[in-house]
Amino acid sequence: MSELLEVKNLSVSFSTSSGEVQAVRNVSFSLKAGEVLAVVGESGCGKSVLCKSIMKLLPSNAKIKQGSITVNGADITAYRERDMCRLRGKLFSMVFQDPMTALNPTMTVGAQIAEAVRVREPGISKTGLRDRVMQLMDLVGIDSPGERMEQYPYHFSGGMRQRSVMAIALAGNPRILFADEPTTALDVTIQAQILDLFRDIQKKLGTATVFVTHDFGVVAGVADRVAVMYAGKIVEIGTAEEIFYDARHPYTWGLMKSLPAFSKGQDTLYTIPGMPPTLVNPPKGDVFACRNEYALEIDYQEEPPMFRVTDTHYAATWLLDERAPKVVSPVGGIKV
Amino acid sequence: MVKTAGRKFLELLLSIFFLSVIIFYIARLTPGDPLISYYGERVEKMSPEERERAEERLGLNSSVSNQYLRWLADAFHGEFGISYKYKMDVTEVIGERIGNTFILGGIGFLFIFGGSLLLGILCAWYEDRLPDHMICKMGTAVSCIPEFWLSLILILIFAVNLRWLPSSGAYTIGIKRSAADRILHLILPMTVVVAGHLWYYAYMIRNLILEEVRTDYVLLAKAKGLKKRRIMFRHCLRNTFPSYLSIMAVSVPHILGGTYIVETVFSYPGLGTLIYESARYKDYNLLMFLSLMSGALVILCNMAAQVLNERIDPRIKSENMGKAPEGIGL
Repeated sequence: MSELLEVKNLSVSFSTSSGEVQAVRNVSFSLKAGEVLAVVGESGCGKSVLCKSIMKLLPSNAKIKQGSITVNGADITAYRERDMCRLRGKLFSMVFQDPMTALNPTMTVGAQIAEAVRVREPGISKTGLRDRVMQLMDLVGIDSPGERMEQYPYHFSGGMRQRSVMAIALAGNPRILFADEPTTALDVTIQAQILDLFRDIQKKLGTATVFVTHDFGVVAGVADRVAVMYAGKIVEIGTAEEIFYDARHPYTWGLMKSLPAFSKGQDTLYTIPGMPPTLVNPPKGDVFACRNEYALEIDYQEEPPMFRVTDTHYAATWLLDERAPKVVSPVGGIKV
Repeated sequence: MVKTAGRKFLELLLSIFFLSVIIFYIARLTPGDPLISYYGERVEKMSPEERERAEERLGLNSSVSNQYLRWLADAFHGEFGISYKYKMDVTEVIGERIGNTFILGGIGFLFIFGGSLLLGILCAWYEDRLPDHMICKMGTAVSCIPEFWLSLILILIFAVNLRWLPSSGAYTIGIKRSAADRILHLILPMTVVVAGHLWYYAYMIRNLILEEVRTDYVLLAKAKGLKKRRIMFRHCLRNTFPSYLSIMAVSVPHILGGTYIVETVFSYPGLGTLIYESARYKDYNLLMFLSLMSGALVILCNMAAQVLNERIDPRIKSENMGKAPEGIGL
């Protein structure tokens, strides 16, 4: 099957007063139709920027430095705002992190969904539009849509708003959906419901999804494939099974060990020491080296390339070099 | 609704009462001779007895507090006294001129309202690009020019040197009043009024819109494929409109206050020249009435701003009606 989305060597930088921030560095990945790719990493690893740069939703001080983005066979790297307008909503769409601010507070929810429907079907009749809006609200699990479409966002709870945002994102029948931490701003019980909803919709519509999250626990339920990002780079990518049962990168191990399930019976939860570096002047060598308990001499000298584990599984760590000492994964595998 | 309207009205009356006390005392405590405005030059030749009689006639011989009480009692009956200078009822003096001020201020206000909206949208649309920079720079420069100076320069160029436009007044004396003559006389003062205020409000609108542009819902609107024009007008502009309307409502007295200075420079027979004269020559009754009128205008405009905001913004509306339901859980 051909790739629906292909990103090659993408680098995105922000020019700020403190210098050039290299938010995304040399990222390559691809997405097949109907597939769910989870992008995992700590805050500030460039996950959101990656999604927004593909949709070209970044502020004007962000620039694509190098690389290419190919969607549906067309290279859109150099597309301008006008061309992007034609793709957004129909080819790809996005669900944002904070549902409290993502809706226009002075417009009824129904009107905001209707706007999105009309992008795809400009000539739709009034009754047709209303039916479609109701259908979408029904799809995302909003009860009595006829009544609720006349209400304003402030009438809606956080979970309901996120459902509305999803209805908007799905209104144009996009082939790719970017979900930028869609559950982070919600409280835990609602998180689970929204996640279920994602899974349901994914099953019903088969929309290819890039699901950004910093929570490995969330990944397990939704993803076909997982990409682990650190400091603007993808450090490990593979199928969900490969990542969960056979992770190779120490950062992936760290993230997994941080799951509360791993610290059962212990007094404290595991944390990866330190913080991700600022990306103004990334250090030489492997950026993760200074937080890595398995760091080798060479990690401080030279950046590791992507080592192939299997055809679908790659990891950027010198531990996979044949000269490296053999290390046993501290997490082994967890049950998905 | 009736209850809040009643309370608002009471607040209005109370504010105007306090305002009247303050103005009454301040006007009378500042040095100056009110008799000059009534009797003119003659005052200097008056004997002390004549002065006393004159003061008695104008009711200026008792204590300030007594004078105030008398004024208040008369005011309740709709009597605001006579203007010392014009020797007419103050309401009549004002009635003759208020139309002129409303023409200058009212039409000027409309120009400012429309013009600043246009410029603000233009700036926001081309944010940080050439048109935006040019309009903002020009606005800063023009706003720094004092109105009276700009007026004088315009008079120098268009009235004195080019002789295209009249330099003062509202009509050409001796010619039958015509609309064309009227408009010619309005051009210069109107230009100064509009130029003085336009930029400030344009800049305000620009920033209001840009504040909206940076919000998350604009990102979602973009992500769903809306065009820039639709996002700008349907989303951003619409959401800034309540604040814009209330800003403009509050600005009414501000802009009218601006016309006062311009009227003085152009000897335009409006309220501006009148209030300036009345303060300078201690025309107490006239000063009182004009100040209270301005004060009432300020208060009424502020109230209007609030009401407008409540009417337009669905969020405020529901808060005030106490109807906003708690977010219904999932």
